[in-house]
Amino acid sequence: MTSFSVQELLPDYIKRFEAYIPSKPDPELMKLYGCSRLYRLNNNENPLGPPPAAQEVLRNWPTVQAAKYPSGDAYYLRQALGARFGKDADRFLVGNGANEVISFVIKAFCESGDNIVTADRTFAVYEWIAQFSGFEARLVPLRDYAFDDQGMLERMDARTKIVFICNPNNPTGTYWNRDKLCSFLDAVAGKRVVVADEAYCEFVESEDYPDSMTLMDEYPNLIVFRTFSKMYGLAGLRIGYLAGDSEVVDAVRRTCVVYSVNTMAQEAALAALGDDEHIFRTRQMVREGKEFLRKELNRLGLPFIAGEGNFVMIRLPMSDTLAYRKLMTHGVMVRAMTGFRCPNHIRVTVSTMDAMDAFVEAMEKTLASETSNKRRAGAVAVENR
Amino acid sequence: MLSTHGPEVRLTVQGHRAFLPVVTAAVEKASLAFGMDEPESLALTLATEEIFAYLCSSHPGESPIEIRCTRGPYYVQEEVLFRDRELSMRAFNLTACPVLDEAGVCEETGLLIASRMVDQFRMARDEAGFHLTLIKEKSYPVFGASVVEAPRLEKYSVRAPDPEEIKLLVRLTHHYHPTLLLPPAFSFPGKVVDMAAGGHICALVAADSAAHVGGGIFWREAGSGMIELFGPYLFDQRPDSGIGSALVDGCIGAIARTDATGLLCRYPSPDLPSEYFEDLGNLSYREKDGTDVEVGAYFRLLHEDPGSMVWTHPSLESFLAREYRRLVLAREVRVATWEGEAASPFSVLLAEFDRSRGHVTLRPVWWGDDSEDTVRGYVDILTKEGIPGVFFEMDLGRPWHGHFTPALLRNGFEPRLLLPYGGRGDVVVFQHMPDRPLP
Repeated sequence: MTSFSVQELLPDYIKRFEAYIPSKPDPELMKLYGCSRLYRLNNNENPLGPPPAAQEVLRNWPTVQAAKYPSGDAYYLRQALGARFGKDADRFLVGNGANEVISFVIKAFCESGDNIVTADRTFAVYEWIAQFSGFEARLVPLRDYAFDDQGMLERMDARTKIVFICNPNNPTGTYWNRDKLCSFLDAVAGKRVVVADEAYCEFVESEDYPDSMTLMDEYPNLIVFRTFSKMYGLAGLRIGYLAGDSEVVDAVRRTCVVYSVNTMAQEAALAALGDDEHIFRTRQMVREGKEFLRKELNRLGLPFIAGEGNFVMIRLPMSDTLAYRKLMTHGVMVRAMTGFRCPNHIRVTVSTMDAMDAFVEAMEKTLASETSNKRRAGAVAVENR
Repeated sequence: MLSTHGPEVRLTVQGHRAFLPVVTAAVEKASLAFGMDEPESLALTLATEEIFAYLCSSHPGESPIEIRCTRGPYYVQEEVLFRDRELSMRAFNLTACPVLDEAGVCEETGLLIASRMVDQFRMARDEAGFHLTLIKEKSYPVFGASVVEAPRLEKYSVRAPDPEEIKLLVRLTHHYHPTLLLPPAFSFPGKVVDMAAGGHICALVAADSAAHVGGGIFWREAGSGMIELFGPYLFDQRPDSGIGSALVDGCIGAIARTDATGLLCRYPSPDLPSEYFEDLGNLSYREKDGTDVEVGAYFRLLHEDPGSMVWTHPSLESFLAREYRRLVLAREVRVATWEGEAASPFSVLLAEFDRSRGHVTLRPVWWGDDSEDTVRGYVDILTKEGIPGVFFEMDLGRPWHGHFTPALLRNGFEPRLLLPYGGRGDVVVFQHMPDRPLP
């Protein structure tokens, strides 16, 4: 057999990089953790599923279509997005989830020696894609759980090409209002691309949340990311998009992988787009779930931050990765936040009341078992003395 | 062929004694050129001489032997690579029963001499052949400068220390904390600075705006994706200062998005915030004054546990069941059996010495029919050497490691703690507890 050393061919920045290991399929996890049902409260999915019209598309989807290539640039979906936001369809690019459009933008603007600027405790994919593409990711600590505008401006230099702002921020739910975003864009003065990742914007109910689709006409360096994975319940089909100034989008299109979004996803997204009733119902569910969690978390004495978005971040008096395992044994899957640089925090998706009840019950048992373990350990320590 | 690539010297020769002076000269000159003092260079050269002579005499042939010397930040590393797949690894056992040659000389003790002349000695075998690694560290002055008392900090920030702050941190940790809880390298502040510069150890300091240091934390890669934590060390700070948690937060933040799987603290300081960690259990150590102390080991996973499968010997099943239940780890435990299949006549263990703490960790390299004799031999030798702490690490990701279990239990070892993902799989740490009754 020919000898082959993978390591000799790998660039250093790939050798250093950690491969993301997705969790095992639910049935495997249930078997391992010995639970008979599993509430998925880890990925901020919408438990109501896609809007009814999208469900109808999926139910009636003609299987013969699977033999044909999809529209290479999601033609009809881009037309619909243009109509919804009052813009030319060419100002939209559709990707295989928002993760893919992050990659398009980084590839379009960064070259060797360039860097991106973002926060340390935010969605990890900006940092990951930059790093495994060989670019420096400059991470600015959050200030009061929010993106630090001044800190980010200070970290920019002549080689900074893109600034990523997660608005509202995953996992803290904090957001920049219109004034803050505009001040930041003014300070950047068109020298860098500013990406506003608005994956959770459809959940935001605050009135001062910026309308980035309008702002991009005033600030052509502003790119907006959105997804059909969260509010529109199409996470399993992987579809998201970006919008921006025509010239910017034309530049990004050069790095875009065409045909990466399948036909079923395009058609379901098209059907989902206009369903404001679905948004209303989901927001109502999130509102009720958050209210319930606020009350219960206060009762349990657990500090939390419940900002915008369909999630709540909770501080625990124990390791989050241990809490993840204990909650799994009770059939509740949450997101351990060590990977977000928030040790001893978990992020919980706000879901239906039965799921919220199950979470609170499991959390109570987890806290009780931890307290009794600590008490036992304390007793042993006293004995040893 | 002699070639250099940056801080590296490579030499490839035939396995023939005629090349011995060439090899020793190359290693000596390279280590001196890499900044090593003469005594350390001589030790590495003598170790090389013993190994090369052994390889030539035991397996003379045309197979080339490659020697690579590399400059590290605080050491010189020498790698010896050769294709001979038949080399008896038994020679690397401390307990190897020497085979005398015609002149009555033990031909294998040279390897043991070699392994003791260097600070680290590892071996590996793969399809390409054998790979021996020798590491000889540079010498550093033991710290002697007086320590400035640390003032209580009103406000502080956590940041990376500069080299002078690292040295101050090391001195302060010695001033405020018992030596048993400190890494051996902390006896040499200059070495810690070099380790940090080379990325072999990382540190954070809690300091105020006037650069007064209130505490610090260190961590380093410990292999198999494990990060070992030292500290946090606080220097007479208020109990409610929050410095300990801030330092641990900083450490976890720095490693959270690396390929590390777990954070282990085997020598916890009193300032370790327990709410960040899981209690793995205790190990017993002997202080220099002869007092035995139980020291807890703490751990946290850095990711959501996807569960895994492990192998065990039947006699370890109840220990594992108890520990997996206590630690809430989802594991499929499979029993590895030995059913009379052919085995090597010899087993091999590698011993890692930590002389400053007075303990030795044994790790399996090869399992064979004489495993019980090998384990007993190690215990006898180490007991005679007066080493109070003897540990054995068994990797449950390698089914054959479990075959050592009966030999360990019959020779006074006891499973003390389970280290999740400590190797290819979880690792069970046994400790030699001679005074306890047999299970």
